[in-house]
Amino acid sequence: METSFALTGKGYVIVASDTTAARSIVKMKTDEDKIKVVSPHLLMSYSGEPGDTIQFSEYVERNLRLFHIRNNYSLRPSAAASWIRRSLAQSLRSRKPYSVNLMLSGYDVTEEKPHLYWIDYLGTMTEVPFGAHGYGSYFALSLLDRYHDPEATLEEGLATLQRCIEEVAKRLVVSPGKYKVKVVDKDGAREIEL
Amino acid sequence: MSIMEYNGGSVIAMVGKDCVAIASDLRLGNQALGISSNFQKIFPVTDRIYLGLPGLATDVTTLRETFRYRVNMYTIKEEREIEPETFAHLVSSTLYERRFGPYFIEPVMAGLSRSATGGFKPFIAATDLIGCLNFAKDFVVAGTASSKLYGVAEGLWEPDLDPEQLFETISQTMLNAVDRDAYSGWGVVVHVIEKDKVTTRTLKGRMD
Amino acid sequence: MAAAAVYSNPGFDFSNLTRNNFLAEKGIPLPKATSTGTTIVGCIFEDGIILGADTRATEGPIVADKNCEKIHYITESIRCCGAGTAADTEFVTNLISSNMELHGLTHGRKPRVVTAMTMLKQYLFRYQGHVGAALVLGGVDSTGPNLFTIAPHGSTDKLPYVTMGSGSLAAMAVFESYWRPNMSRADALQLVKDAISAGIFNDLGSGSNVDACIITANHTEMLRNVEMPNERVQKERSYVFRKGTTAWKKEDIKKLVLSEEVTPISGEAMDTD
Repeated sequence: METSFALTGKGYVIVASDTTAARSIVKMKTDEDKIKVVSPHLLMSYSGEPGDTIQFSEYVERNLRLFHIRNNYSLRPSAAASWIRRSLAQSLRSRKPYSVNLMLSGYDVTEEKPHLYWIDYLGTMTEVPFGAHGYGSYFALSLLDRYHDPEATLEEGLATLQRCIEEVAKRLVVSPGKYKVKVVDKDGAREIEL
Repeated sequence: MSIMEYNGGSVIAMVGKDCVAIASDLRLGNQALGISSNFQKIFPVTDRIYLGLPGLATDVTTLRETFRYRVNMYTIKEEREIEPETFAHLVSSTLYERRFGPYFIEPVMAGLSRSATGGFKPFIAATDLIGCLNFAKDFVVAGTASSKLYGVAEGLWEPDLDPEQLFETISQTMLNAVDRDAYSGWGVVVHVIEKDKVTTRTLKGRMD
Repeated sequence: MAAAAVYSNPGFDFSNLTRNNFLAEKGIPLPKATSTGTTIVGCIFEDGIILGADTRATEGPIVADKNCEKIHYITESIRCCGAGTAADTEFVTNLISSNMELHGLTHGRKPRVVTAMTMLKQYLFRYQGHVGAALVLGGVDSTGPNLFTIAPHGSTDKLPYVTMGSGSLAAMAVFESYWRPNMSRADALQLVKDAISAGIFNDLGSGSNVDACIITANHTEMLRNVEMPNERVQKERSYVFRKGTTAWKKEDIKKLVLSEEVTPISGEAMDTD
């Protein structure tokens, strides 16, 4: 089952998302990237209805790019999150709403602080120190309650993340196999091998 | 499972002597799973009006944005700040407009209204999800812990509490009511509005 | 989506319906609004109309408001009691009151009770009972005293004494026993009080106080809380907490500007020509 985690640390946000693309009970693909770099300092991890996730994340990416082209600066994480939330809330009032849950991780270069937003398909949004979506969240959230440290270094943060992944692998019946991990900090977004 | 209980959360407002207080919990959940312990449901509208929006979290944010926009437009057009009574009617008609497709929110308002002589008068109000106004003289409650809040507030509230007493009364009411509600809690925030200052305090409460 | 305007288009906005039906399809029942389980009455007496109402508003089994007002203003000499969905009675009477004022201004004479009744029934019929207002409309106009009931679907009755709401049976029992034609003002007021009291004490949806409104040809008297049979007694002791009872983690005090004075610093007046 689809699972994603994200946590903030000292000057960074790390995001992990499983890489399986499933249809019914069949794994169709095991190297799907479900974390999109939507702008230089913004990562969006998404899960939900297969078609909707791609459509919506590309819609977000292109609108953020359009904003940058028009105004010659990028939306800050809080503004981007607000825009994405509104898009989802409006979509919910349409005939066929996007069924996409996501977490938006960003580094605010003006304020020099990391931000993490938890957003679901209803348009519920909240800023959190750490968050998770999917069945893995039931295990990861309690672990993160215990081990999360907002002042942790990247190495410590990755170790905590590793713990979450191992716990989910150990206890969840329908646990995903592989994860992709990305980090965003003052230098922008990049992928990390665990 | 009603949609009003999907994310959980409660708000209460109380009248004191020349002051009002409004308090909410800080939980955001997905049914039984807690997501955030810092989800604000109370927002300042003007310096002396605060609005609490318990209910479905997506509508909390949407309505907050709607009211911010409408109050800003009012301020620009009228070239003055909105009064609490006027704002209550703005809330009411905004919700009743959607009588047949409502927002799942039961707003609670608290503020000080300016009287003709230049003094300030305490004001509280609440509406149901389609905008039926309730102007109470003592306290108003809403959210998943409302039934408990009614009981505790009915027992603890009394007239003419000064700001410090009002803070203790509303805090104890909130704290004890949300402890009996599974969907509310995870911290409480209290605002006490007086004519010359607004005191905001985050309380120490149970985190289970 | 069109931007939300300060003064929005008239009428209802149905744009949340698709979303709410979508949510309802997921097996989540939609919540109920505040409804006034109510006792409202009206009766004709020798020189006018008396309307009566209790003051309890309920949300399911919870008393939401212990002293609400159910006798709504339509015009100076026409009033309307409301039962049913509280928001609907409030907004429908407000709307008709507004239209009656305009009607009076357009035609240069006082609008009649039947006019209000027709406006109300046509509005309620249009919404096929979905606007859940059950009303008792009463007033005095050029044709004399008039008393009507209007049901949520738009049907109306014209009777010398009427009751509505969940306490209507209790109140009607009183009217059926004691109402006589051409009652005096004092007797009629007592009868209305008794009818409402029957509702307050025998119907769970009704409670608290009695409101009454006496309308005669040249005077309308609103008797708010004319009877208060359920007043709360003084509390035996004070439950104020000692200062410092509640522990708090963080405090933030925002100072507000109480008054400001403008002091001109330049002596020269600005040239505005």
